[in-house]
Amino acid sequence: MSTPDTTAPAFPVLSGRKYFMNFPVTDSSHSLEAYRARGGYQSLQKALTGMQPADVTREVAASGLLGHGGAAFPAGRKWGVIKLTDGEPHYVCMNADEGEPGTFKDRWLLEHVPHLCIEGLILASYAIMGRHAFIYIRGEFDLPYRRLRDAIEEAYAAGLLGENILGTGYSLDIVLYRGAGSYVCGEASAMLASLEGKKGWPRNRPPRLTVKGLYQRPTVVNNVETLANIPAIVGEGGETFRKVGLPKSPGTQMISISGHLVRPGVYEIEYGYSWEKFIYEDCGGIPGGRALKCVIPGGVSTKILDANELKGRTLDHNSALAAGSQIGSGGMIVIAEGTCMVRVAQVIQRFYHHESCGQCTPCREGMGWMERILNRIVRGEGRLEDIDRLYHISNANDGTTICSLGDSAGYACSAILDHYRDEFEHFITQGRSMYDGNLTVEDPFAAVGAPA
Amino acid sequence: MSEKILDFFIDGHAVTAKDGQTVIQAALEHGFDVPHFCWHPQLSVPGNCRICMVEVEQDNGDPWFDIGCNMPVTAGMRVLLNSEKVKMLRKDTMQFITLNHPVDCGICSKSGECTLQDYHYEHNGAASLSRDQKNVATKFYPLSDRIMLDNERCIMCTRCVRFTHEVSKTRALGAVNRGDHALIRPAEDANFNDDVYSDNVIDICPVGALLSRENIDNSRVWYTEATASVCPGCARGCNIDVWHRRKAWAFKALDPALNNRIERITPREHPDVNGPWVCNKARDLARIFERPRAEQPMIAGRVVDRAEAIGEAAHLLAGAQQVVALVSSWGSNEELAAFQQTIVASLGARLTSWVKADHQPIPGEVVEDDILIKADKNPNRKGALALFPALPEQGFSAIPVGTDVVLVWGEGVPAAALPAGAQVIRLDSYAGDDNLSARVFLPITTQNERAGHYTNFEGTISAFAQGFAAAPLVTDAETLFGMLVSASVAVDGSRQKVSA
Repeated sequence: MSTPDTTAPAFPVLSGRKYFMNFPVTDSSHSLEAYRARGGYQSLQKALTGMQPADVTREVAASGLLGHGGAAFPAGRKWGVIKLTDGEPHYVCMNADEGEPGTFKDRWLLEHVPHLCIEGLILASYAIMGRHAFIYIRGEFDLPYRRLRDAIEEAYAAGLLGENILGTGYSLDIVLYRGAGSYVCGEASAMLASLEGKKGWPRNRPPRLTVKGLYQRPTVVNNVETLANIPAIVGEGGETFRKVGLPKSPGTQMISISGHLVRPGVYEIEYGYSWEKFIYEDCGGIPGGRALKCVIPGGVSTKILDANELKGRTLDHNSALAAGSQIGSGGMIVIAEGTCMVRVAQVIQRFYHHESCGQCTPCREGMGWMERILNRIVRGEGRLEDIDRLYHISNANDGTTICSLGDSAGYACSAILDHYRDEFEHFITQGRSMYDGNLTVEDPFAAVGAPA
Repeated sequence: MSEKILDFFIDGHAVTAKDGQTVIQAALEHGFDVPHFCWHPQLSVPGNCRICMVEVEQDNGDPWFDIGCNMPVTAGMRVLLNSEKVKMLRKDTMQFITLNHPVDCGICSKSGECTLQDYHYEHNGAASLSRDQKNVATKFYPLSDRIMLDNERCIMCTRCVRFTHEVSKTRALGAVNRGDHALIRPAEDANFNDDVYSDNVIDICPVGALLSRENIDNSRVWYTEATASVCPGCARGCNIDVWHRRKAWAFKALDPALNNRIERITPREHPDVNGPWVCNKARDLARIFERPRAEQPMIAGRVVDRAEAIGEAAHLLAGAQQVVALVSSWGSNEELAAFQQTIVASLGARLTSWVKADHQPIPGEVVEDDILIKADKNPNRKGALALFPALPEQGFSAIPVGTDVVLVWGEGVPAAALPAGAQVIRLDSYAGDDNLSARVFLPITTQNERAGHYTNFEGTISAFAQGFAAAPLVTDAETLFGMLVSASVAVDGSRQKVSA
């Protein structure tokens, strides 16, 4: 872990550009009419009339767009793997199975700019010459589902989907599929299995999904936010897009922030934005004047960062990597001083245990094992060797599982252990949390004003 | 088409693999041991048990770990099967696998032939690191009328699920629930009872989760031994192992019949015949072989000694002008050849030999499918037809009026179907009323009491060995034919003497 530079943080000069949250949300701002009034579907017109499929991929590659689903894989490179001339059907699948705890940014996009998501999906399908595209939407999403469903109907009615889109000869049909509530179905290969009607179990690679994906055909799976960036990239060109944000992290990031915070919610920030400024100014800081203890930066699968590690840091991929974590899915959870990290670990582990798909051994058995150990510690029956056991199980899951659920749980747990081992030892030796009864908290919302 | 051959290294030994082979396939082919639970040579690769983890040495020094079953061999790759890290990963995986497994080997019927048990000693050998309670799951869950599932022992390798999807194609099994509460369950829209290959999942289960409801707790594996045999259930002639109690462990105080019964039947792999599978009919061969036996020679239903019965039969044959022999399609190639060399040779033109079907499809059984089961329910019709013609289409009515003697070898010929005037010499293994009405009845051995060969419908010859001793007066047909012929020679001689 790098030593935070507290002296003079040099923050980059940012453009202040926003791609998504750049209009006032009203009752009808999600409609096709309103979207068109904001310049919607012009990129589609531009691409279908003036660009070859490979040109679209080239623009996306030039933009340097990184996937927003969590792994930050360059979108252009993923698309580039698809061989346009192999004679096979290609599929694009929009991953709207947003299930990472603390992440709810895609929900905002699906609710408020469904047409932007659809336009991005059409452009992506055009780029890889797909005839059918799929949207796998989280089953618990109700309003996003209805908005998206209505938007697809509107798009069909307006000739933006179906046969011969905009009279250009390109045809595309979108299949909207609702998941049944499994976290692991947000993993691309499990999602495709679920889409095929099978049990949502991830699949081994090789072969990669871009070689054999949905129905054994080359398939691109992209996050909602990734696809929502495409219309802007096609519209203004990849090079222009790249000027927003930082060179290594171009564009913006939708951040869904929650936890001990005055103004939690969904924010769009440009990469390179000051992390502390975001938490303390934009989000109003922590209620009750408590100190910041740590932050889960991008969904619970990313390693936590404590207050010191955030000092002077910018919100972008490289900076998060240097701090030993990731931007992940942009689901930030802020944890204030006085929170028992043993219980945080227990809650996180309960989630992983509940969501482990049960396919491969280390995760299936390891998640339950870790939860049982943490439960025992919280019951006051922990043993000091349990800490080593938790590390051991985390390590045994690292890189040995089919998908990254097991790895992630291990990272999450071992990062909390790395930072707050003393709390675990205290809990084990004293049989109670370090914070139980030791903290006086004033009315946390007494001093909080109305949201800005 | 020339196949591309890749050179690579396993533990420093230069080996080769065919293009497209995985590391585990190539390694096993070259005699290296790679542990595996979920991988099965005949099934798809799920890669879920993670025990076959191998290390690949990289040029940049970073080792790369992945499962050998899903790793295609590339030219020049350096695979390590036994590096320290690999051993550690295996040990971790074994800890995970035994975490919620009850480790109740002492009362488990799989004990002694259990992959998990072997791997525990080989790759783990340590007590569980966990001090917490194991998960509780269903015991004795009836998956079908034949198979019982112990969910606590199950390690979710999904071999059984993939078997029903890929081999038997009934799609009768699936997995429900998630995480360490996932369970194998029958599919809602299929019935595992309808899967005529269902018992194969017992064999491929690497733990004691799937067990035969009929054979459960019958015998410890190490008290039994297998005799190589061939299933006579149909013309496929699947190679099987017939398990019975070891001689050294024979019961002395209990019913001696227990030492002489079929404990169970398992498939014996034969790539050209049945692969590693057999159908459920083979599993139930005891129902065929352990029918009430005929153990006494008889003349017209009266028990006589063997010499008398053979003498009477020889007398009948010697005096007959026209003999019809109905040849068994359950006879071994050796017996058929003996029949030709003895009876056929001695009777000459007086004898007409026809091959008949000993067994017909049983009502309710699957007559034929495109997996293993053939419509001809006799193991050696092909071998018999190589020597003798088949019974004409009109069946037993083809036997000409005026036939003096009908020699019935084996089952499938009711006495009522034979011409009323003919004398019947019947050779059979099983008790029945038709034996009593025959002029001469001679008991013969079943397949388990002799050795021999069958030729299956494709012409593949498979051998079966003797697993059980025959009762004292029960002879195999091969010997019996010889005895009949030498007795007929004596009869002929005496008759010539008389006429002279």
